[in-house]
Amino acid sequence: MKPKRIMNKRLPKVLLLIGIVLILFETLEIASAKIYIDIHTPSTRKLPIAIDPFKNLGTIPDKENISSQLIGVMTHDLEISGFFQIIDPKSFIENPQTAGITSDKINWTDWSTIGAEALVKGGFSLDGKNLMMEGRLFDVIQGKFLAGKRYFGKVEDFRLMAHKLVNEIIYQLTGEKSIFETKIAFVSTLSGNKEIYLMDVDGENRQRITSHRSICLSPVWSPDGKRMLFTSYKRGNPDIYLKDIFYGNENIISKEKGLNISPAFSPDGKKIALTLSVEDGNSELFLINLNGNKLDRLTTDWGTDVSPSFSPDGKRIAFVSDRSGSPQIYSLNVEDKSVKRLTFEGNYNASPEWSPRGDKIAFSRMMGNKFDIYVMDPDGSNCQKLTSIGNNEDPSWSPNGRYLIFSSDRERGKKLYIMQANGANQIRVTSGKGEDTSPAWSPMIGER
Amino acid sequence: MKRQWIYVVVVLAVLSLVMACICRPKAVKPTEEAAKLIPPAEKKMEEEVIAAKEPAAVKEAEVKEEVSMKPVEEVSPLEDIHFAFDDYSLTDEAKAILEKNATWMKNNPNAKVRIEGNCDERGTNEYNMALGERRANSGKKYLIKLGIMEPQLSTISYGEEKPLDPGHNEEAWAKNRRDHFPIVK
Repeated sequence: MKPKRIMNKRLPKVLLLIGIVLILFETLEIASAKIYIDIHTPSTRKLPIAIDPFKNLGTIPDKENISSQLIGVMTHDLEISGFFQIIDPKSFIENPQTAGITSDKINWTDWSTIGAEALVKGGFSLDGKNLMMEGRLFDVIQGKFLAGKRYFGKVEDFRLMAHKLVNEIIYQLTGEKSIFETKIAFVSTLSGNKEIYLMDVDGENRQRITSHRSICLSPVWSPDGKRMLFTSYKRGNPDIYLKDIFYGNENIISKEKGLNISPAFSPDGKKIALTLSVEDGNSELFLINLNGNKLDRLTTDWGTDVSPSFSPDGKRIAFVSDRSGSPQIYSLNVEDKSVKRLTFEGNYNASPEWSPRGDKIAFSRMMGNKFDIYVMDPDGSNCQKLTSIGNNEDPSWSPNGRYLIFSSDRERGKKLYIMQANGANQIRVTSGKGEDTSPAWSPMIGER
Repeated sequence: MKRQWIYVVVVLAVLSLVMACICRPKAVKPTEEAAKLIPPAEKKMEEEVIAAKEPAAVKEAEVKEEVSMKPVEEVSPLEDIHFAFDDYSLTDEAKAILEKNATWMKNNPNAKVRIEGNCDERGTNEYNMALGERRANSGKKYLIKLGIMEPQLSTISYGEEKPLDPGHNEEAWAKNRRDHFPIVK
């Protein structure tokens, strides 16, 4: 009996010891997983990175210059990411004849001398329509291999391979998955009518997915990235269509009298919030299911209620209402329908988009006859202006909440731009003819 | 006392064994082995590219056939009415025009009139569609007040999608904030 009691008294000390040991192990663990780029710090220094031209590892000559095209895609992606200072290849001094793509054949001082801290090397081989590409990421300071990936596919899919490698590089250096395999849906007037298009994040690979020859508006992705909702005047009235992106079939899911506009998928993909007209042409928010059956009326007031955006937990909806006399952003509790006004500055606040992380709402505000993108906390506090040149509208978050894509007329015509969530690194991603508007960033499609 | 120390040692031994097991896989450092370069996840890429379900792209031929459908202004015997920015209330001028339009409609009772609400390009498409709907309804309500029967009227909002003047200045915007009254069959 006696020793047992003593043991019980000693138990807390033993637990303490276990605790200390555990803490020790965790500290070691953190120290071993090095984060090269801390994306949680708003003003991160850009990491100097060099991308060495990829070597032809096979016997078939590279007639179509796949090598430089791969480097081009990767360089553009790394620029869009905003994390890197890309070292000018003209300053490279390593002898490409003697150097290899493995760490035993790299002359580290040749890279550290020109300021590189990270280095990407790689190779490829061609075989008819097939392409093999491999990329390797090195820490120049420590002279160390960090990660490598090899990809097999068709030559025509070289862009996808480059995007995958960039995602891997960013994952290795930041510890977070990046967005270069995602897609952007948007509205363009390229064909003479407003139609819905898809493109890669870098603006390439543009595909038109509607042929309504009418007015198509407001595309939004289903949470699984396989379907899309949009508004179209194809039948003469603004109706809501649900389109299967990969098979092409589309159905009208809401064709009430008057407006059927501004659809938003609930985070579970089972419900759709949208704006419908009620008596006297007043517009209200409703909840319908994917068969178009009405489930719930969300707003009841004299004002216009449009542009719903769900919080990631599905419990709240940010939307625009002019119930106070001018368009302002409100937050609605889906359960009890209570409403809180979030914006008080400016006479025009619109297009709220709840961040996938749930911590911010992006929107556009008109001040002095000019629209800009802002972000605020979901309670309306901490409002920050992110853009300043031209008119900037229609913000849409990347699925990891790190970037926003938006439309701007700062150069010529409306084009799409990507920036970091703090407004840094604003880069145009569309060009050419047509006005590009209403971008919608897909979920993480590449992870299916 | 001795038994207690044995107890502590045993606990620590078990603990370190457990920790060793938990930590070993994480502690492996990346190597340049070729095997490491082809993790199973990347094998998937091969399949993925071959079976790529690329979004259904519209055929190229269709693009070439397409005729640009710039909005064509329908000629109407009825005059447009105009609105202030983000406003759907009727000005005195608008009311006077609606009175003229109502007279024409009474003289042409078989002519069905569609009231098209429009906005200038500023602001969101979605809010402007709702605003256009309100502008169309403002016109409709006043015409009904003037004695026009509801079946002779229909409404639609085009938001900012059918600008009369494609310009990006106040002059163009003022023209585009309007109700248009085409005669429909």
